[in-house]
Amino acid sequence: MTAKISVMGTTFSYEAREVLRDITFTVPAGSFVGIIGPNGSGKSTLLKGLAATLSPKGGIILLDGRELSGWNNRELARHLAVVPQDTTADFDFTVEEVVLMGRSPYLSRWQVESLADLAIAAEAMELTGTLELRHRPITHLSGGERQRVFIARALAQKTPVLLLDEPTSHLDINHQVEVLNLFRRLNHQGVTVIAVFHDLNLAAQYCSQVILLCQGRIYACGTVQDIFTTETIRAVYRTEVLVGQHPITGVPQVTLLGKKTNPASDSLKVHVIGGGGAAAPLLSRLVSLGWRVSAGVLNKGDTDWHLSRVLGVTMAEEDPFSAIGEKAYRLNLTLIQKAGLVLLPPVPFGKGNLPNLTILEEALTRGIKVYTLTDGAFHHRDYTGGTALAVYHRLLARGMHEIPDLQQFLASWLHPTQPPLQPE
Amino acid sequence: MDGRNWLAKLQLVLPACLVCLGGALIAGIALGSVQVSPVTVLKILLAKIPLVGDQVVPDWPRQMETIIWQVRLPRVILGTLVGATLAVAGTAFQGLLRNPLADPYTLGVSSGAAAAAAFTIVFGLHRSGAGLVVLPLAAFLGGMGTVTLVYRIAASTGRMAIHTLILAGIIVGSFMSALVMFFIAMAGDGVHQILAWLMGSLTFRGWTHVLVLAVFSAAGGLTVMALARDLNLLVFGEETAQQLGTNVERTKKLLLLAATLMTGGAVAVAGTIGFVGLVVPHVMRMLAGPDHRVLVPASALAGGFFLVLADTVARTILAPVELPVGVITATMGAPFFLLILLRKQHLARR
Repeated sequence: MTAKISVMGTTFSYEAREVLRDITFTVPAGSFVGIIGPNGSGKSTLLKGLAATLSPKGGIILLDGRELSGWNNRELARHLAVVPQDTTADFDFTVEEVVLMGRSPYLSRWQVESLADLAIAAEAMELTGTLELRHRPITHLSGGERQRVFIARALAQKTPVLLLDEPTSHLDINHQVEVLNLFRRLNHQGVTVIAVFHDLNLAAQYCSQVILLCQGRIYACGTVQDIFTTETIRAVYRTEVLVGQHPITGVPQVTLLGKKTNPASDSLKVHVIGGGGAAAPLLSRLVSLGWRVSAGVLNKGDTDWHLSRVLGVTMAEEDPFSAIGEKAYRLNLTLIQKAGLVLLPPVPFGKGNLPNLTILEEALTRGIKVYTLTDGAFHHRDYTGGTALAVYHRLLARGMHEIPDLQQFLASWLHPTQPPLQPE
Repeated sequence: MDGRNWLAKLQLVLPACLVCLGGALIAGIALGSVQVSPVTVLKILLAKIPLVGDQVVPDWPRQMETIIWQVRLPRVILGTLVGATLAVAGTAFQGLLRNPLADPYTLGVSSGAAAAAAFTIVFGLHRSGAGLVVLPLAAFLGGMGTVTLVYRIAASTGRMAIHTLILAGIIVGSFMSALVMFFIAMAGDGVHQILAWLMGSLTFRGWTHVLVLAVFSAAGGLTVMALARDLNLLVFGEETAQQLGTNVERTKKLLLLAATLMTGGAVAVAGTIGFVGLVVPHVMRMLAGPDHRVLVPASALAGGFFLVLADTVARTILAPVELPVGVITATMGAPFFLLILLRKQHLARR
C-alpha cells in the first residue's frame, strides 16, 4: 500500500507549550486510522497538524509525497476535509447553505455554485440524514444535528482523505452507528479516514489501525489487535480495564473496572461463588470498593475466571467444561474459611457445579455467614432435576440470608448502625 | 428554490433596497427650506442627462436648479456614500471579528480621527488657507494611525488574534477619547466646532468630498465584496475557514485594510456618525440572511437609504434649526431595530 500521509519526527506546540513531541507514523492510502489516548494527550492537536491548521515546529509531514506546507489552502481543502469537534454556530445560515460551503474550494472568486455543486450537497445531506433539515437555520439545531451537518459539509468537499475529531461525540447511539458505518462505507470506496476517538470500543470496532497517544508522544501504533491489550490500555489510561472480545464481532472490547477506591477497608474479606459470568458484576464492584475477594470454583476460560484473573482475585479453578473435582473443592473450602463470609450470586446449577452449592452447607456448619443474591426464581436456574433446589431450601433453613441486591448487602455491612439484615 | 438561497435573495432584496434608496434620494432633494415637487426634481435631474435631457422642457426657476445641483444633490449623494460605506465596513467588521457588537469604530478609527480633528480645531489649523483639506486629512490620518497602532499591538503576539485585536482597539480607543476630552477642555471657543464634528454632519460639503469618498468606498467595497464568500467561512472560525480553503491571514488583513480605509474616509468627510455601521448590518442580516454575498450589497444600499433619510429628517424636522444627523440615526434606528428584533424572535418562537 502506498503512503497517503507520512509524519516524520514532528513536534507541535501552541505558543511555547509543546503538545506533541517526536511524532512519526505512516497512514497507508485507504486505511481507517484511529487516534486514541487520554484527555490532553494531544489527539486533536495531531489532527490539526495533519489538516495544516497548526504548523509543525520541526520534522516533516508529507501528503501524497509532497510536504504539507507546500500545499495551498484551496488545494488542500480539495484533498482533505475536516469534521471539527466544536460545533458551535452563531450566524443563522441554513443547513443547506452550510453544506454548500463544502464546495468553496472548487469555486473561483466570483463563481456561483453550479447545479452539480447543489447535487453534491444534496447527496451529502442525504447520506447524513440532514436533507429534511435543509431549510432550518443551523443555530436552531441540536448539537447532534449540527454535527451531522458539519459531516455533510466535509463530505461535500469530496476529498480522498477525511479527518474527523470525535465525529460522533454529540450523537445518539443510532446516529453514531449510522455515521460510522457511513465512514466505513466511504473507506471501502477508497477514502482514507483518520479519526480521533474518545470511545475506545468504537475505535476498536471501526479502525484498521490505531495510534495511541500518551502525554504528547506516541505510546504505541499498530493494528487494533496489537494495541488493545489489557496491559497497554491500563498503562496509558491508568485505570483498571478488562480487554475482552466482542461476543459478536470478535473485535477487542474494553470494559472499565474503575480504580480501587478504598484501600483502607482491607480488612473486608469475602468469598464469591461464581460460574458462567454470574459473579462478574459483584467481583468488579467489590474489588473496586477495596474488598479482599476470593472466588471459586471457576472453570478456566469462562467470564468470571477471566475477570478474576484481571482483578487479581484468588480463586479455586477447574479445567474448562469439567465437573468440579476433589482438589478444586478443597481449595474452595479453604478460601471460604479464610474469608469467613460467602456471597452466592444467581448462578445456574447443573450436575457439574453442584458442589459449589453443597459446599455452602459445610460452610454454614462451620459457622461461616452465607448470603445469597436472590432473583426469586432459583427453580429456573436448577438444571439438576430438583436436587439443587432441595439443597437451596436446606441452606435457607440453616441460616443462609437472602438479599435482593449487592447494594443492600454493602449498606448493612459497611454501616452497621443501620438495621441489620433480617435473619429468617 | 434551488438551494442557492443567496441568489434568490439577491434578486429580491437588491431591487427593494434600490427602490427605497431612490425614494429617499428624491425626498432628500425635494425637501428643505425651498420645497421642490418630486416631479420637478426628476425633471431637473433628467435635463442634465444627454439625449434624454433634450426632451425635458425647463419650467423651473434657474436658482432652483442651482440649489439642487450645488447643494442638495451633493448632500444626498454624500449621505448615500457615507451611509453605504459605514454599513459595509460594519458588516465586514462584524464578520471578521465574529462579534455582533462590533462596528466600524471598534478598532479606534473614530476616536483616533476625533483626537486629530480636535487637535486641529484647538490650534486653529482648520482656519488656515487650506482649511477645507486640513481637517478631513488630519481626521483620516488620525484614524489610520490609531488602527495601525492597534493592529501592531495585536500582531506583536505572533499571528493576529481576534480577541487581542478587539481588546487593543478598546484600550487605544479609550486613550484617544481621553485626548479628545482634554482638547475639549482646552478648546475655549472651539468647543462647539469640536462637538459638531463629533456628532457628525453632512452640512457644507460639496462634490469634492463626494469624489474623494467615492474612491475609498469603491475600492473598499469591491474588496469586501470579493471576499464575501471568505467572510461566510470566517464566521465559522478561522480554523474552519482555513480547512475550507481560505487563506485566512491574508483575508483578514485585506478585510481589515479595506474596512478601515472605508471608515477612515467616511469619518474624514462626515465626522463620527454613529449607529449606521452597527445597526444596518444587523437589520439586513435579519431581513436578507447572513450570506455576505447578499448582505454586503444589501447593507450598502440600506445604509445609504438610512443615512439620507436620517439627514433629511435632521434638517427639516425642526427647520430652520438643523439637528446633528447622529441624533436622528440613533432615535430612528433604535426603535426600528428593536421592532425587527422582537418580530424575528416572535416568528422564531412560533
